[in-house]
Amino acid sequence: MAELESRDSHDMGMHDEQLAGRTQQIFFKPSAEENFTYPGAYEVDFDKETEFDAADMSNKDVNLKIRDLMSQGYGSITIRNPGAKHSLGVCILNRLQLTFDGSLGYFGCGLIDGPNVHIKGRVGWSCAENMMAGTVVIEKNAGSTFGAALRGGDLVCKGDVGSRSGIDMKGGTIIVGGKTGMNSGFMMQRGRMVILGDAGQNLGDSMYDGTIYIAGKYESLGVDAVESEMTQTDIDWLEKKLSIYGLKAPNGVENVRKIVSGKKLWNYDNLEPSEKKLIL
Amino acid sequence: MSQENTAAKAAPGVEKKEKPERDIHNLGSSFIFKPNVIDDIHVKAELGRYRMRGFSLFKKIPHFDDLTFLPGTLTRFVIEGYREKCETKTILGPRAKRPMELDIPVYITGMSFGALSYEAKTALARGATMAGSATCSGEGGMIPDERRYSEKWFYQLIQSRYGFNPHHARLADAIEFFIGQGCKVGMGGHLMGQKVTDQVAEMRSLPAGIDQRSPARHPDWLGPDDLALKVEEVREATNWEIPIQLKLGAARVYDDVRMAAKCEPDCIYIDGMEGGTGAGPHLATEDTGVPGIAAIRQARKALDDVGKTGEISLIYAGGIRNGADLAKAIALGADAVAIGHAALIALNCNKDIEEADFPNEMGVEAGYCYHCHTGRCPVGVTTQDPQLRKRLNPDEAAERVYNFLHTLAVECQLFARACAKTNVHSLEPEDLAALTMEASSMAQVPMAGSQHTVGRPDMTRY
Ligand SMILES: Cc1cc2nc3c(=O)[nH]c(=O)nc-3n(C[C@H](O)[C@H](O)[C@H](O)COP(=O)(O)O)c2cc1C
Ligand code: SF4
Repeated sequence: MAELESRDSHDMGMHDEQLAGRTQQIFFKPSAEENFTYPGAYEVDFDKETEFDAADMSNKDVNLKIRDLMSQGYGSITIRNPGAKHSLGVCILNRLQLTFDGSLGYFGCGLIDGPNVHIKGRVGWSCAENMMAGTVVIEKNAGSTFGAALRGGDLVCKGDVGSRSGIDMKGGTIIVGGKTGMNSGFMMQRGRMVILGDAGQNLGDSMYDGTIYIAGKYESLGVDAVESEMTQTDIDWLEKKLSIYGLKAPNGVENVRKIVSGKKLWNYDNLEPSEKKLIL
Repeated sequence: MSQENTAAKAAPGVEKKEKPERDIHNLGSSFIFKPNVIDDIHVKAELGRYRMRGFSLFKKIPHFDDLTFLPGTLTRFVIEGYREKCETKTILGPRAKRPMELDIPVYITGMSFGALSYEAKTALARGATMAGSATCSGEGGMIPDERRYSEKWFYQLIQSRYGFNPHHARLADAIEFFIGQGCKVGMGGHLMGQKVTDQVAEMRSLPAGIDQRSPARHPDWLGPDDLALKVEEVREATNWEIPIQLKLGAARVYDDVRMAAKCEPDCIYIDGMEGGTGAGPHLATEDTGVPGIAAIRQARKALDDVGKTGEISLIYAGGIRNGADLAKAIALGADAVAIGHAALIALNCNKDIEEADFPNEMGVEAGYCYHCHTGRCPVGVTTQDPQLRKRLNPDEAAERVYNFLHTLAVECQLFARACAKTNVHSLEPEDLAALTMEASSMAQVPMAGSQHTVGRPDMTRY
């Protein structure tokens, strides 16, 4: 273990902070790197393929099995009959090609950093919550709080999603092929959310930052969410991103609308008296 | 009646004393609109918003001070102070594969990097490690040096998920779900723009300089049924190895704890209304939650009633200042205690150090400061300002934290031994008496000098 520095604390640590890796933050001093190992991140080989049937397995056993296979270097894993069990595929912290041949329950593929996941069925609440990097593609519909607190990567649902999708988003991209429920993009901080269908009430409520693109209609905008001009960069980005997943905006990307933060709540204390009513 | 008529007549030969003129217009002052309340309204009439502050509870509530110990005399055999062994080892989450084992029944609660300076965070970590205790990340993510210096470390999973990183979760010795905190139950965290520096903003994925008002609800679960699944998800993520703790602000404690227990955590942390904060609306800190002495007792009863005592550990925090408070919290039913502001005071909070000029910098004398929310902490504890941070020497501060934690444990032992226990965890409600009716009713211990517990139908012991 590298020597722990107990002196010069004012100059240490945080000043060496850097953003690196996939999207994970590496803060520590390079000289003291061996003080940290990231447990649970494996070196895998995409060409090493395997599959197993989860029908008679508990969710715990499925996850342990995935970890075991990854530790043996398997980089492409297919899981048959996931049976909508909860918390499947959580906390995979390395690259991996993972296919679920069926549906997942709540918290499917939450807390992941790096894998490319293909879900052939549906997912329950909070799919890919706090995902850091990678891609998750769902062929059918998704439940509420889809991609909650997403930090990075692409999360794609080709069907409809429930309410509160993209809540507290901190980065990455969410694409919804169909419609989304109320409070989508609530308190969004960064990242992009693309809705190809309609959205419910309070779209983008209290968003700090980030961008929501919507091709359909929305019932209402939330507090401090405002429409903004689409730029050529927006159009190019949308076209490219959607094409990766074989999706299209129904009336063309030029007619997509863009929602951003009005930034009035950034410093509530500095608002003009009349603006303060914003939060009532 | 005129003044003249009421004046007493002087005896002959005695000089008549001049009586000060009575002010017939002075009836006293309002109990409701005291000068500070009047000032508060004046300020709010200009500000147009609620007022923020840090620190602790301002108003008097029934508290640990209203309880006293009943040590051994002839009915109990006392344990020799300073000599005979009195165990302080504390195991949190005994069912977990890797329980949290502490040498003393007290650890440092979650206080975010952002609210606290880098120096304060690392000093707390080092002090806690020296004392064989633990720290907690608080909101806003892990700073690696805190993790590095903390031998035992809770990682907080908070509503905002600022900086939450699954890699860091895998480095934790326990995960704490923040569901609420005692000083502002039902609300999310606050960090005012002055403290949202580039670095803090980057860790939290926020624009720098904004007033951060964190969400009060978790993004990915709404009620206890979802929470049970969320707990399971985090267990999956951490390989079913480490304890999962739920931190609740004390409100409807009996029901909340029973619901929390249904989610099968390893530990439940109850934060009483005395709990401190780095920033919160003043009114929320004063007017939400229930006192610790009531909360601990209700929480213990809830765990007993659902048959989870011994399986789920109970941690209490809020207003713990010394070993007597600690011992009383344990006697009422806590397995361990966490401290916040007392540890900051050990760091130097409210101390008139040479470099600080409290009256000019904060507008109050040392000892009266509650301005953590401003980010201008004159002793370098709750600030991100590089110049102010230099006022806290982390090496010395770490030692003070260690000394304070150690003292808390020793003081706690002192009461345990006097009450005839060879293990601090053997302290029990029967070792306590109440000094006020309120305390008796809330803590459900008899009034001192009687067998009467206020609120018990038969007026007997609990
Ligand atoms: C400066 C400061 C920052 C805090 N930050 C957090 C936080 O990030 N997360 C959290 O759960 N509680 C936070 N708290 C609350 C404490 O964890 C704890 O509930 C409280 O301080 C306990 O009360 P005490 O200070 O009277 O010991 C903070 C408290 C203080 C004083
Ligand atoms: S001295 Fe610092 S930590 Fe203490 S109350 Fe004042 S601002 Fe807060």
